[in-house]
Amino acid sequence: MSASTHSPVLKHHFEDLGQQHACERLGIWMFLATEILFFGGIFGAYTVYRLWYPHEFVFASSHLNRLFATINTVFLITSSLTITLAIRSAKLGDRAALIRYLLITAALATAFMVVKGFEYAEDFHEHLVPGPSFSHEIEKEAVDKGLDPGKVQLFLCFYYIMTGIHGIHIIVGIGCILWLVWEAWRGTIPPENYSTVEVVSLYWHLVDAIWLFLMPLLYLAGAGYGAHH
Amino acid sequence: MSHPTTPGATTPDDPHGIRASADNPGVLLVVFACVLGLALANIGISIQIGPTKFTLPLQLAIGSVQAGLVAYYFMHLRQGDKVVILTALSSLFWMGILFVLFMGDYMTRHLVVSS
Repeated sequence: MSASTHSPVLKHHFEDLGQQHACERLGIWMFLATEILFFGGIFGAYTVYRLWYPHEFVFASSHLNRLFATINTVFLITSSLTITLAIRSAKLGDRAALIRYLLITAALATAFMVVKGFEYAEDFHEHLVPGPSFSHEIEKEAVDKGLDPGKVQLFLCFYYIMTGIHGIHIIVGIGCILWLVWEAWRGTIPPENYSTVEVVSLYWHLVDAIWLFLMPLLYLAGAGYGAHH
Repeated sequence: MSHPTTPGATTPDDPHGIRASADNPGVLLVVFACVLGLALANIGISIQIGPTKFTLPLQLAIGSVQAGLVAYYFMHLRQGDKVVILTALSSLFWMGILFVLFMGDYMTRHLVVSS
C-alpha cells in the first residue's frame, strides 16, 4: 500500500491516485473517440456532397457571416487556454484562480452561443434557410450563375445541422464547467482531485478542435468568392 | 498506468507529484498564440486566394495543425500514458476506415453506372 491510499479523494477500487487519474483520463478519451466518430460521420456526409456539388457549396458559404465566425473562433481558442490554466490552478491548489479561470471559460462559451444566436437571427432575417422561405434573391442569383438552388439549400442543411450539434455540445460543456465551479466553491477539488477538471477540459478541447474544422468547411469555403467570380 | 509526472518529482509537500506536473504557463501562452495565429492566417489566406482547388486542402491542413497543437499541449497527449495516446490515435484510425469505405462507394458509383 502506498501513501496515496490515505488520500480522501482516492476511490476504494484503485490502488493509488496515479492509477485513478490514469483511468479517468482513459475513460474520457474513449468517450471522445466515440464523439470523433460521431462527427466523422457528419463530416463524411459533408465531404461527399461537397465533392458532388462544389460550386453550389462555395456559393452558399459565401453568404454566411464570417465576422461572427471569426469572433467565435477567438472565443473558443481563448476558452481552451483558460480551462487549461484552470487545471494548472487545480494542481497548484489555488482555488480562487481555479474558480476565476472556470468562470472566464464559461463566460467565453456563453459569449460564443450569444454570437451564434445573433448569427442565426441574421440568417433567418435574410431568409438563408432551406425550405419554402428560402430567399428568392439568392435563389435567382444562383440560377443566374447556372447553379442549382436546391443544392445551395443542401449546404444550408449541413450548416444548421453541424453548427446546431456543435452548439448543443457547447451548452453541455457550459453546464459541466458551471458544475466544476460549484464543486470548486464547495472545496471538493483539492490538488489530488485535479483530474475532475481535466476530464471536463478534455471534452471542452474536443469541442474547440471540432470548431477548427467547421470553420473552414462551412465559413471559409466561400471566402473570397465575390472577388474571384 | 503511471501518473503523468517526471520521475523523482515527488516531495514531502507534493507526495503524488501533482504540483510538479502543472503546466508551464509560458508554454501554454505560446501554443495559444500559435493556434490563434493559424486561425487568423487560415481566414486571411482563404479570402486572399479564393475558392480554388488547393484552398480546401490548405484550409484543412492548417486546421489539422491547430487541432494537433490543441491535442498535444492542451489535452496533455505529450505527457499522457501510452494507452491514452493509443486511444486517441485509434479514433483517427477508425475514422480513416469510415472515410475509405464510404468514399470508395460514393466516389465510384458513376464508374459502375457508365460501365
